[in-house]
Amino acid sequence: MADTITLTIDGQEVSVPKGTTLLKAAEKVGKDVPHYCYHDGLSSPAMCRLCLVEVQGAPKPMPACVTQAMDGQVVSTESELALDMRRGVLEFYLVNHPLDCPICDMSGECHLQDYVHEEGRDHGRSREPKRVFGRDDFGGDVLFYGDRCVMCTRCVRFMNEVEQDQRLCVVERGNRSVIDTFFERGLEGTHWHDNIVDLCPVGALVSKDFLHKARAWDLDHTPSVCPSCSQGCNIELHTRDNLVQRLKPRENLEVNAFWMCDHGRLNYEWINHGERAEAPLVRDQGGVKAMGWKEALTLLVARLGDVEGTVKAVASPFASNEDLAALQALVESLGGGDIVYRMPRAEDEIVLKGFPTLARRRDLAPNGRGADLLGLRRVGGDDGTGGLEDVSAHAGVVIVLGDGLADQGADFASGAALRVHLGTRSGPAVATADFVLPITTFAEQEGTFTNHEGRVQRFWPALNAPGLARPAWLVLGALVAEGTGSETPRRADEAFARLVAAHDAFSGLSYDDIGTRGAVVNDTVPLSGD
Amino acid sequence: MSEVPFKNPGWAGNTGEFDLDEDQVRGDDFVGTRPREGGHPSGAATYPYMLPEKHPDAPLFEGEHKERFDKILTRYPNKQAALLPTLGLAQEVRGHVSPETMDRVAELLELSPAYVRGVTTFYTMYNKRPVGRYLVQVCTNISCNLCGADDVMEAFLRYTDTEIGETSEDGEFTVVEAECLAACGFPTCVQINSRYYENVTPADVPKIIERLKAEGAGGD
Repeated sequence: MADTITLTIDGQEVSVPKGTTLLKAAEKVGKDVPHYCYHDGLSSPAMCRLCLVEVQGAPKPMPACVTQAMDGQVVSTESELALDMRRGVLEFYLVNHPLDCPICDMSGECHLQDYVHEEGRDHGRSREPKRVFGRDDFGGDVLFYGDRCVMCTRCVRFMNEVEQDQRLCVVERGNRSVIDTFFERGLEGTHWHDNIVDLCPVGALVSKDFLHKARAWDLDHTPSVCPSCSQGCNIELHTRDNLVQRLKPRENLEVNAFWMCDHGRLNYEWINHGERAEAPLVRDQGGVKAMGWKEALTLLVARLGDVEGTVKAVASPFASNEDLAALQALVESLGGGDIVYRMPRAEDEIVLKGFPTLARRRDLAPNGRGADLLGLRRVGGDDGTGGLEDVSAHAGVVIVLGDGLADQGADFASGAALRVHLGTRSGPAVATADFVLPITTFAEQEGTFTNHEGRVQRFWPALNAPGLARPAWLVLGALVAEGTGSETPRRADEAFARLVAAHDAFSGLSYDDIGTRGAVVNDTVPLSGD
Repeated sequence: MSEVPFKNPGWAGNTGEFDLDEDQVRGDDFVGTRPREGGHPSGAATYPYMLPEKHPDAPLFEGEHKERFDKILTRYPNKQAALLPTLGLAQEVRGHVSPETMDRVAELLELSPAYVRGVTTFYTMYNKRPVGRYLVQVCTNISCNLCGADDVMEAFLRYTDTEIGETSEDGEFTVVEAECLAACGFPTCVQINSRYYENVTPADVPKIIERLKAEGAGGD
């Protein structure tokens, strides 16, 4: 192939497409050349001077992030010259660095810490007093510690190139230079600014929300999908002590690249809500009794068998595909009925200008598209309320999945012959139900969401469920199995396989195909309401 | 002007756009009149349009300044490229570039205020704070430093009774350090407004101050 070239990096031959930079070529042979200013999602100014490598025949070290690989080139990323050069650059970075790692949020995931530890000098030789800037509030969720900054300008370039609202600049020059906003006018009103905290390779930009909350090495990282809108940004849940401490975007070039919005990032506290339904509650002769699953489900199956009349169900767009499909299977096994869901909607989309396929979508729930594909009916207004009048007046069986009844009072569906509620929390409308079955949040179970474009994406369990809470697909699957005499799905992938078998839109998909990047369903139904 | 010991055929920046003759440029209409007794040719670069008085709140880009601003814009392929001369014009009118000025310039040139701030602070010749009538820039770079720039600096501070970067109480003098003024052959070099003083020693400082004060009192 004419467009492929072969070069040698640290003694290993590697073939790369023409135009590949040395940094990327080195990645291919497993060499991570230290770098600050270079980022896959931004332009390369080659200003940090840390990725310099030795190229045979070149008069001086070359910046790997912008130097294009050439055929037959011999590159050393770890030769004496390259290491010596990087040692020198790192020493300069530490001239004004406060070395306040013990109180720095970035400690443990800091590139300066890593690089100096790997290849820096063991002693600094500078005897000059250090320059001191102190701390600056950049507005929004961002705090700036100027002393820790390495002036890579990733944040400035993000605001300039990706968010395209140039709120940040480099002020002054030489060793006085520092990142700043336009005086008191900070990042308020921008919707993607927390990404600069991710981009910062050191602890200069930190999140106020995460400030001094947890150490990086104490956090467990679980791949997941952001539940705050129908974009379905790939994220990681960072957890400690069975609590979500923060959300971070996970790279997926087909959905959110490297970014996520501040709305989604900071909307996680509900996952940590302490007051949870922890055991099945069964109403019996006016009293409510907590009991184990087996007992509760046996009673429920018996009641379902007794009750005459059709079923009406309220689902939630926050439930996974598996949960919704299991609900549908249950309703069908009971003779069929109407399933509705309600969707809170924002006024408008907030598009990331530099990556326009990414936006905070209008639908403020992760799985509206999944519900549509499964044939659920959307009701109610854009504020996520109303539309439940005929469910509330229903005389047969009413099943509610999820916590979407906040606007309903204790008299919700009071005329129903049997009311079953599967939720994570109680409330006025929940407390009067005949059966309250505790289920897990998306962070406590495995499953999939279908995003606005029909991409089915997996998420993994990050937290232990409280008490007896179980995934809704397991509870509903057990009820279906009991009623039809089939097997209960034991794992999420089995539940998904049943969904695929029952719904043509999802045909051909499996957990293996979806992987960590997602797979698009073959049925492209336009989003309801768009 | 007859005592000027040399004569340039024109003067720097004479683009023909402004109806100023050399006498107006070198004369008392403008701050930075040449020393009466002449000076070294390297000091010839008096700005052609230096205003005698600056007002921190003077209207920007109005009247004649608006015309000049429009003329500046014609020299560049787009508005954004005219940032440096526009800031220069603003500083000429107001004496320094304040945050409000940056904001106004950003609005006029369709740039982000933060970007304008970045550019303004990058260049040391834009004053970010109000300065005195005379901005004394003492070169403390290598050549001058070896020849006693620190002593000259100290003398200026003593005779104007200020701190580095501060303005004297009478509003006449602001003394700052400058990096190389490109007069390494004549250390110590001091730039006062747009005029160069070369081979300055601490002993020259009181004379310079006296003369500037006299100029200020009698000149306008």
